[in-house]
Amino acid sequence: MPGDEVVLSLEDIEVHFENKSSLLDFGGESETVRAVDGVSLDIYERDVIALVGESGCGKTTLGKTSIGLQRPTGGSVKYRGEDIWDIRDGKVDTDTEWADIRQSLQIIHQDPGASLNPNRRLVSILSEPLRQVNPNLSKQEKRERIYALLERVGMTPAADFAERYPHQLSGGEQQRVALCRALLMNPDVILADEAISALDVSLRVEMMDLMLDLQEEFDTSYVFISHDLSNARYFTAHSGGRIGVMYLGQIAEIGPAEAMIQDPHHPYTNVLRWATPDLSLQDAGEVPMRKIDIPDPVDPPKGCNFQTRCPEAREACRQADPQSYHAENQRVRCFREDEDHEYWESPELTD
Amino acid sequence: MASTTVETREPDSEDPVVELRNASVTYDDGNSYVLDHVSMDVHRHEVIGVIGESGSGKSMLAESMLDSIPDPGVLRGQVRYNPSEGEPIDVLDLTTEELRQLRWEEISMVFQGAMSSFNPTMRVGKHFEETLSAHDADIDEGLAFARELLQDLYLEPDRVLNSYPHELSGGMQQRALIALSLVLEPELLVMDEPTAALDLLMQRSILRLLRELKEKYDLTMVFITHDLPLIAALADRLAIMYAFHPVEIGRTEEIVQNAAHPYTRALLNSTPNLDAPIEEMVPIPGSQPAPINVPDGCAYHPRCPLADEQCRSSKPDYVSVSDRHTSACYHWDDARDEIALNYSENLGDAARSGGDE
Ligand code: SF4
Ligand code: SF4
Repeated sequence: MPGDEVVLSLEDIEVHFENKSSLLDFGGESETVRAVDGVSLDIYERDVIALVGESGCGKTTLGKTSIGLQRPTGGSVKYRGEDIWDIRDGKVDTDTEWADIRQSLQIIHQDPGASLNPNRRLVSILSEPLRQVNPNLSKQEKRERIYALLERVGMTPAADFAERYPHQLSGGEQQRVALCRALLMNPDVILADEAISALDVSLRVEMMDLMLDLQEEFDTSYVFISHDLSNARYFTAHSGGRIGVMYLGQIAEIGPAEAMIQDPHHPYTNVLRWATPDLSLQDAGEVPMRKIDIPDPVDPPKGCNFQTRCPEAREACRQADPQSYHAENQRVRCFREDEDHEYWESPELTD
Repeated sequence: MASTTVETREPDSEDPVVELRNASVTYDDGNSYVLDHVSMDVHRHEVIGVIGESGSGKSMLAESMLDSIPDPGVLRGQVRYNPSEGEPIDVLDLTTEELRQLRWEEISMVFQGAMSSFNPTMRVGKHFEETLSAHDADIDEGLAFARELLQDLYLEPDRVLNSYPHELSGGMQQRALIALSLVLEPELLVMDEPTAALDLLMQRSILRLLRELKEKYDLTMVFITHDLPLIAALADRLAIMYAFHPVEIGRTEEIVQNAAHPYTRALLNSTPNLDAPIEEMVPIPGSQPAPINVPDGCAYHPRCPLADEQCRSSKPDYVSVSDRHTSACYHWDDARDEIALNYSENLGDAARSGGDE
């Protein structure tokens, strides 16, 4: 269960990329991609937050920004109350060093094979973080810790696995090594960027269970990025976490896992719910959106950014951008949360 | 109730489009099987979902239908294609030229990752023209049909035909490729993980559109995937692959509600889904065997909670569980009692009564 103390605080984060037009458009202006557009979020100790949404919604950029791998173009990222980029730039007088922050905020990628050095044995890959965190450990002590952790994640006999190279492991084993390497840094937050998407369906639950088991032992928080609501639900519901649904750079709805699944408020959360296959064999019906393809993030729709596809959109949705409303357990960016909004009097959008 | 559950047409099992008999693919001088004596039919006008984890042989099954196994694999057995008009064709006896004609015209195939199927330097429209002319089809008529297909797939025909592949999103490319695979009106569409590289919303949208295309054009489809829930609402039947052959084949409802093989039941229970109480999802211990060391007897026995001496020593044959439902397991009946499905209480009465009739 999440603690009371905020580890990371994101305030009004913007990440805008300048996208130079291709050579074909002579003298074309550069375009701005608004990958993240005004997100505020607090991440607590032992917290679990799943960010879900379709490709291009900004979830990976937001995740990387939250752990200091991406500098925001607006807003601030605070680690235990201190602005990490001010520390990086040496603008503040503090004992916290950039290296400590980098060590506290770790990542595991979708493709573990690519993130593990192919020329080094596991024992050497896993010694590196131990050396950084605890330079005084003897070789023997390091080995013991590595063996213990490998056993803990089910890679036995550990002494045998420790001598292998990454290519001698299955995808699931590689991902467990990537998790071990991140955990040995004693991080406060681990960003799991589609970390289970490449695994076979039957291995995903196992990997998620392992991550959650180790969360307690290592006292860490997770930011879990996924396009799959059922995985996000599994991961967050087991740990008292939250699901944040992202759409075109903004958080459309965020709340506790079961509330998001059982009682979604935002029309886009409903769309993701529709997109999540189940075994009920009920006909889920037609695509519940007016358009299948996501709009170009270079030119996001005016007003509510979902209005071009939203099945509930009305004329009022073109006029203004909805604020974030409180709805029971969730925060929701949609006019439908305001009973008195002019939305209810305005004509439906049908195109 | 009946109107909201997926309607199951009874595809005509007397009228198979493709019949595989003892189809096997071997490497290394015939010693390691990556497709192991598969006999199954694809019925006309059905969607059959072939479900398997990586390394189960599911792609080999797809490729064997078009005799397009990558070298140095060797395909043996019989692959018979029955056109709706004309004589049956033994696919493995065809010449290279005959095979070229069969592919796309009669049986077309869509793989994961449209990027590698399109030539990056050629506009999408040109791909349609070349495909049509390579098969001596009428270009104008064909392009008119292509436009209709693109529209069916929620694409703007002009924009797509005039674009280079990279100018389209992954989801658009994959839909354009599906349109291309249908432009010659093949009898059978074989799809191997056609949506796996896309996000879930796009995958589900494409599945929904395929369902509409299937109704509109009366298609027959083989859909290969690792994701059982994804295909459950589209497929009439499911074939579950384990260790290079199907271990269970049956109508989708029966498989989902009352699977008769321990592996299928474990697979269903290990798959995160929004229906199951989250406490009850359980991973399958162990992993699939590699082609070089498939266990003796039933290949699933090292992971199976019901395995006994018989399972370890001799390989189970298919038994008929009910009409059109077969399982390669000695203890399929016990499996139903002893391996509970963790989402069944949410399925309603249909689940508890369904299956055995
Ligand atoms: S504000 Fe309007 S367009 Fe936006 S999500 Fe709500 S109903 Fe849909
Ligand atoms: S035959 Fe035996 S080992 Fe194989 S699945 Fe059935 S019970 Fe399990």
